[in-house]
Amino acid sequence: MDYVFHFGPILDRWPLLLWGLSRTLELSLVSMVFGLAIGILGAVAKSFGPRPVAALASAYVELIRNTPLLIQLYFIFFTLPFIGLRLSSDTAAIVALSIHLGAYATEIVRAGIESIPAGQIEAGKALGLSGRQIIRHIVIVPAIRAVYPALGGQFILQLLGSSIVSAIAAEELTAIANNLVMQTFRNFEIYIVVAVMYFVVVQAFIMLFRLGGRLLFRWKV
Amino acid sequence: MNRLSPGRLLAGLLAGLFVMVSLGLAPAQAVTTDEIISRGKVIIAIDTTTAPYGMVDTSMEPSGFDIDVAKLVGEALGVPVEFVTVTSPGRIPSLLTNRVDMVISIFSITPERALQVAFSIPYAGQSSVVLAPKSLDIAGPEDLVGLKVGVTRGTGEDGLLTKQAEKFPGIEILRFDDYASISQAMLSGQIDAMGGGDYGDMYLQKSVDGEDFELKYILKSFFFGIGVRKDSPELLQWLNTLVYSLKNDGTLNELSIEHRGAPLPELPVF
Repeated sequence: MDYVFHFGPILDRWPLLLWGLSRTLELSLVSMVFGLAIGILGAVAKSFGPRPVAALASAYVELIRNTPLLIQLYFIFFTLPFIGLRLSSDTAAIVALSIHLGAYATEIVRAGIESIPAGQIEAGKALGLSGRQIIRHIVIVPAIRAVYPALGGQFILQLLGSSIVSAIAAEELTAIANNLVMQTFRNFEIYIVVAVMYFVVVQAFIMLFRLGGRLLFRWKV
Repeated sequence: MNRLSPGRLLAGLLAGLFVMVSLGLAPAQAVTTDEIISRGKVIIAIDTTTAPYGMVDTSMEPSGFDIDVAKLVGEALGVPVEFVTVTSPGRIPSLLTNRVDMVISIFSITPERALQVAFSIPYAGQSSVVLAPKSLDIAGPEDLVGLKVGVTRGTGEDGLLTKQAEKFPGIEILRFDDYASISQAMLSGQIDAMGGGDYGDMYLQKSVDGEDFELKYILKSFFFGIGVRKDSPELLQWLNTLVYSLKNDGTLNELSIEHRGAPLPELPVF
């Protein structure tokens, strides 16, 4: 192979790549917050909700987990306008990513809830806690603690998966990389640099998650 | 950049030698209409990968706008056409090595190419354009300010509109990965306008508000001429006359409507 690598054209456009990275982080973080909120609500609905509500939550989880994210993106961006709901590229991307993560987070948090022994809830009742207090302090927080590593893994998949939103013209790191490829034809160099950027960010995330886990859940089991 | 390795150098030298030998053995030869007629066939270079101008139909025969023009040339000369399939970069060499009498294959007329081959007056043309629903009042890039314009990443339209957006800040360019996606974005109203061609199925569709799409302004036009060797002025003059005649009797316009679904654009002459 007599390919000569030239990173110069990429260094010239470094600010663009950094901007793309910041967009990727923004998309991922915002959809993580919404996705986790949806996940907790969904898990509570599936575990404690009245039957119709639980059924609705199950239907949502199955629908999202059994269809590709790309089709969900297309549906939200290209199809919803026909019934009058027009979302911009960025909003559609955040909505799709949140709904997508929400379904997976629902199942993860539900698994955590199921790991709470019945005796723990009964203990809460015996202490005279209200239903809401029990769900919050006795169920949700210990449940999330139990599945914290699984949630972290899902968040990382989400960050990497956000690269496909360029399909609906949302700008993020991969979209910027593709633009630069078309401008400079330095495919190798650009994709190598972008892969390294993703790698570094994911590693940083893993460390942050560990740190966050230690700070959030300090008590012993 | 590719570094010149010994293997590559050798291959390059051999290719160069081959071209020199073939050119040397058969110097570019003038050809006249009389010679073509007495030979009994006209040899025309086409490309069958450039639909709707050149493609292969269901019975594996060449068909398309360019192929029909080539057949008209044969008819006018009163001889059958022998097709030689070439790729875009093979068009000029096929003429210079005497493999063909002429090239009819979306051969855009440019001064760089005209240093090596001669072009007839254009028989067809097409443009990169901005299209949008009828009700939008767009006459130029200044009217796109504040609008969302979709393009396919990396295409000619992307480059041209990106430059216009630099000149007129406020034009929001949305880059999609393929033509299917910008069409969808256009149909669902996610973009206000798009960069595309001056023909195609898009013009038959309706917007989300039931409006027709129309061509708003032209970004860049390309005109296609018939290429011949530079030393064949008699053949060139005859081709110019033929194109003039086919244009004036409406034949070219009919072909344009048949193959492109759009009328023939105004063709300049030189």
